[in-house]
Amino acid sequence: MASNAAAPFWRSAGMTYITYSNLCANLLRNCLKEPYKSDALSREKVHYTISKWENGKPQKPTIRSDTPEE
Amino acid sequence: MAMAALRREGRRFATPLISPNPAIALRSSIIPSQEQVSSGVRCISTQIVRNRMKSVKNIQKITKAMKMVAASKLRAIQTRAENSRGLWQPFTALLGDSASVDVKKNVIVTISADKGLCGGINSTSVKISRALHKLNSGPEKENKYVVLGEKAKAQLVRDSKKDIELIMTELQKNPLNYTQVSVMADDILKNVEFDALRIVFNKFQSVVSFLPTVSTVLSPEVVEREAAESGGKLGELDLYEVEGAETKSEVLQNLAEFQFSCVMFNAVLENATSEQGARMSAMDSSSRNAGDMLDRLTLTYNRTRQASITTELIEIISGASALEG
Repeated sequence: MASNAAAPFWRSAGMTYITYSNLCANLLRNCLKEPYKSDALSREKVHYTISKWENGKPQKPTIRSDTPEE
Repeated sequence: MAMAALRREGRRFATPLISPNPAIALRSSIIPSQEQVSSGVRCISTQIVRNRMKSVKNIQKITKAMKMVAASKLRAIQTRAENSRGLWQPFTALLGDSASVDVKKNVIVTISADKGLCGGINSTSVKISRALHKLNSGPEKENKYVVLGEKAKAQLVRDSKKDIELIMTELQKNPLNYTQVSVMADDILKNVEFDALRIVFNKFQSVVSFLPTVSTVLSPEVVEREAAESGGKLGELDLYEVEGAETKSEVLQNLAEFQFSCVMFNAVLENATSEQGARMSAMDSSSRNAGDMLDRLTLTYNRTRQASITTELIEIISGASALEG
């Protein structure tokens, strides 16, 4: 039996379950054939801006995006 | 004598434009009215009223178009929101949505729109978030905000600056999908410590009614604690067998993260649907107001036009009678 402390490899690598399931979903989407594949991959696009705030002051916002910025 | 009468008439014709009150009688007496506001204006040109009418008509067209656009977007996103309700229902059946849980670290996730002109839904979300903050304040308790969307950001920055942890905007550049929401949920999980997450959003009941809702997601430690002590519904978790090489606490941790992601996905979709619905009704009432304003302006325009014609006639006739007599 694998030791319970280090159980899933992705958990000990610092990923959350959400990241793990997104990666699996991406692998699955890449298994599709062409017309469905591009449809499915278009459902995966991510774009948003996030900024952390410390003590009432915003830090520099970062943009997380799949689409390259023009 | 005639000029004095003319001047009085002119001033009385000018007042309807300043206060379009249909009760002012125009053609009857020559008694100078006491409520004249502007002197020295004999007849206002119809040009001003015509310009006003043109701009109001343009506004009416624009708001009507916005209403159509919002209606079509609403249809598309409403089906997605209703379908996504099935994602969190099993979680609530299993883990419960215990809004009354008493925890030390509360994180309030406020979901709002990025664009304006959508009625009062953003203000209600912010109001509920502030109420939650107050409700949960106490000696050892800590409340933090995570804000999604520009409108809530603008309102919360004004008085709760030091309680804000994260702000995320520009969510709707691509059509909303689960991957984006789950990446945002992941960011929140990694950056913010919490015992309970309260997600505040507007649930879509129908095109005219949006219910501000709070969904609670507990962190895995709190879930374990609740399961151990109360024995209520969370205690039944022990009845379930855990397969595989994972322990119960790992399963709970995975479930809690996934629950957060699903609940947030549903919340974001429902809020987007409510936004479109609210925008539709706001634009509808605004085009109706524009139509009313246009009617009133048309009446004023006609009155001004007739008044100027009457004034010309009076001038001609009094000029002619002055020549004779």
